[in-house]
Amino acid sequence: MLDLAQLAVQAARRAGADVADARAGTDESESISVRDEQLEGLERTTSTGLGIRVLVNGRWGFAATARLDEEEVTRTAELAVRIAQAASRLPGDPVSLSPVEPHIATWNGTCEEDPFAVPLGEKTAMLVEATGQMRAVPGVTFAEGFVDLFRRSTSFASSEGAAIEQVITHSGAGLQATAVGDGDVQHRSFPCSFRGHVKQAGWEHVRSLGLVENAERTGREAVELLAAPECPSEVTTVVIDANQVDLQIHESVGHPTELDRVLGMEEAYAGSSWLSPGDGGSVRYASPLVSITADATLPGGLGTFGFDDEGVPAQRVPIIVDGMFQNFMSNRETAPAVGQTSNGTARADGWSHLPLIRMTNVSIEPREGTLEEIIGDTKDGLYLVSNTSWSIDDKRINFQFGCEMAWRIKDGRLTDLYKNPNYTGITPEFWGSCDAVGGPESWVVYGTPNCGKGQPGQVGRVGHGAVPARFHDVQVGVRG
Amino acid sequence: MGALGKDRFLEVAAPALDLTGVDGAEVLLMHEWGGLTRFASSEIHQSTASEDTSLRVRVAREGRVGVSATNDCTPGGAYAAAQQARAMAEVATSDPLWPGLAPLADAPRTGIFDEATASCTPEERAETVATLVGRCASGFTAAGAYETRGVEFALANTEGQVCWEPFSQASLTTVMTGGEGGSGFAEVFSSLATDIDADAVGARASDKAVRSQRPADIEAGTYPVVLEPAAVSTIMGFLSYIAFAGRAYVEDRSSLSGKAGRPVAAPGISIWDDGSAAGTLGVGFDFEGVPKRHVDLIREGVFIDAVYDLRTAKQAGRAEGSTGHGLPSPNPEGPFPLNLFMAPGDATVEEMIAATDRGLLITRFHYSNVVNPMDSSITGMTRDGTFMIEHGEVVGPVRNLRFTQSTLGALAAVSMVGRETELASEFFYSASRVPALKVDAFHFSGVSDH
Repeated sequence: MLDLAQLAVQAARRAGADVADARAGTDESESISVRDEQLEGLERTTSTGLGIRVLVNGRWGFAATARLDEEEVTRTAELAVRIAQAASRLPGDPVSLSPVEPHIATWNGTCEEDPFAVPLGEKTAMLVEATGQMRAVPGVTFAEGFVDLFRRSTSFASSEGAAIEQVITHSGAGLQATAVGDGDVQHRSFPCSFRGHVKQAGWEHVRSLGLVENAERTGREAVELLAAPECPSEVTTVVIDANQVDLQIHESVGHPTELDRVLGMEEAYAGSSWLSPGDGGSVRYASPLVSITADATLPGGLGTFGFDDEGVPAQRVPIIVDGMFQNFMSNRETAPAVGQTSNGTARADGWSHLPLIRMTNVSIEPREGTLEEIIGDTKDGLYLVSNTSWSIDDKRINFQFGCEMAWRIKDGRLTDLYKNPNYTGITPEFWGSCDAVGGPESWVVYGTPNCGKGQPGQVGRVGHGAVPARFHDVQVGVRG
Repeated sequence: MGALGKDRFLEVAAPALDLTGVDGAEVLLMHEWGGLTRFASSEIHQSTASEDTSLRVRVAREGRVGVSATNDCTPGGAYAAAQQARAMAEVATSDPLWPGLAPLADAPRTGIFDEATASCTPEERAETVATLVGRCASGFTAAGAYETRGVEFALANTEGQVCWEPFSQASLTTVMTGGEGGSGFAEVFSSLATDIDADAVGARASDKAVRSQRPADIEAGTYPVVLEPAAVSTIMGFLSYIAFAGRAYVEDRSSLSGKAGRPVAAPGISIWDDGSAAGTLGVGFDFEGVPKRHVDLIREGVFIDAVYDLRTAKQAGRAEGSTGHGLPSPNPEGPFPLNLFMAPGDATVEEMIAATDRGLLITRFHYSNVVNPMDSSITGMTRDGTFMIEHGEVVGPVRNLRFTQSTLGALAAVSMVGRETELASEFFYSASRVPALKVDAFHFSGVSDH
């Protein structure tokens, strides 16, 4: 495929591109859904193609095709150039790229046991057993189990001389028990919601999750939730589990620190940011306990790679240090706007899309204490567990999240269980109220394989290292 | 770039349909081609063109089902996918609700395909964007996207069912920002690029942007609201899968479960789904090859029924079978309506405003999500044009608010329905045609800073 990418770059240069790069590759996926010991969905997909990006007179053009003969590749390269030329219909500053050394490299992500090679029968048997154990709990209406596998093979070539081949493999699995009754429905997930825990790893990750071992408890908690009272509406202290902190980081730190949003490039769709380009080092984003890092070298992260889709090497970038905002995530086009070079976060949703700034692995740095110690240190509040819903405004200021379950904390102990908890806040106020961040022993790398951005819409696969954390004066229990 | 055509599709599908060792096979083609010209800060910054195909093969043997998809759109690609699907079916458990493949039935062509729209050039799109940007007020900039594309859906199965239909889509969306915190939105969807009036879209967004500068503080609370069609389409989009979805409905997980024949909305509200009607986007058959039927969902405020695919119809024991709302398999979520309509009323937006003593005019919602499916509540933000109404007049912009509101509760509180409808697109190949609404009580649970 590298030959094909290089052919495309040459064709684009012949057609008039000042700069060109191309990605040829294949995405493979496998998805298994089991409900009540019955296989409801078993699907494999394969998609192969080539995308060509060009700069002509400082304007971008991009074209992609799934037909890979030489004639079609040449036609697509010429179309990309024509698209770039058409962009000059409106005046504007020409794009100026930050420099990058052209690398010639091969990079393979961690994968000990090829998940696609594991027999289908073994995968489905695990889910059948787990759903059977959940379903056996009296009061569980139905029980679901999921396996999702993904592999992306990419060959990248650029007119600057880069030639990079990469393979990443993502594996994930999870459970969900559902209890229905008296006009209500409650879900409980394991190890986290929305089809489970996905990592850059092979089948060894799925084996380590302990789905079968945790199935009965998951079912029991769904039933307990159905009988639990509604989470009260109050302003209180909340301890948030690591899985929900993962999404809190994603929505209220990850997206607003993408430099393309800050520069208005996503204004019409996903929105912009409450930050301005000159805010690095001068804006207090959170309490001094909070440090957040974008790290594309993190083992196991969905945002881990050797090189981004512009050929920039993976980097570890401080986003927030001791509560102060420091750096945006950038690409070669946007980094010069803040006087920097790209910190390597340009990624595309496969060969058919233009690379955009995407979170890599945006993680909170652990401090100290286990979940039990943080709860034990809390006099009065609520412990919120597992995400069910998320919403945030176009500048990433006003957010509201729903969780699967909440526990009352009284004098350092969990007491009453509540269903349908949610909480709302204002980004810098909320992060500013953080007074406890869990330690390394409670740090988990989660995956978000469904992050939407861009037009045409792209799905990004990003990671977040997270720990439980505590926040003060939070509005909980928002009702219509 | 261009449509494959029915004959070529059948050539490609033939080896998969001839696969031995299975009881039945189905080949679904989803083929898209086109371009999108994206702009921000009044410059064209990201323009793309692409063509891709998904060839999805489903096979079944004794109720065991496997699905394999490829973008290798050749007879060999289809056959390889079929072989893989067969291998998957061999390890699957038998589905007691397996309904079989769609039977032979006429699926009349309903989509509009315009070659000029599907093959719109980058230069033509740039010209349209330039026209829109030309309407930007001084001190403001425009962001947005103009997309033109051709889509081709086809399905063939071993029951003899063959469906093929192309359609075209054009959409122009913009947000204009600038001045002192001004932001305005407008969009238009159509099957025809010639329907895209960039000048009108630009003028509408610009007017809102200029008028929304210097937003005033506002308290959260319950207000009467006038919802423009883009905001109503968000409510419709969420009702599609938290209320009208057949599987959740049958399994008592829908906010409408057990409410057939009961009033759930104001008498002025009628909602139906009809993929075969004029004025929507799409084709006349679903992703299982069943012709799409007109389904009354809410008629004059009374809930009638949900929508069904083949499997959910069997689960529900419906003698009438599928309503033609199947999505691509495998689909554990079940069917959703994709072509919703809300009946127009007789009011203008101006009359709704005039009838509001103190309330809000909402242009659209942003990043909404479900709070509780059982009471149909969702949350989200207002965006790009939120105005205070006092004594029957729009008196000025206010900061954006967070709403947390039951969608059916909002429809129950509708007192006026707009006489004009607009087409909006929310989710996967979906479109809803809706009017503006005046809702007498709509709950806002928070406020943002802009």
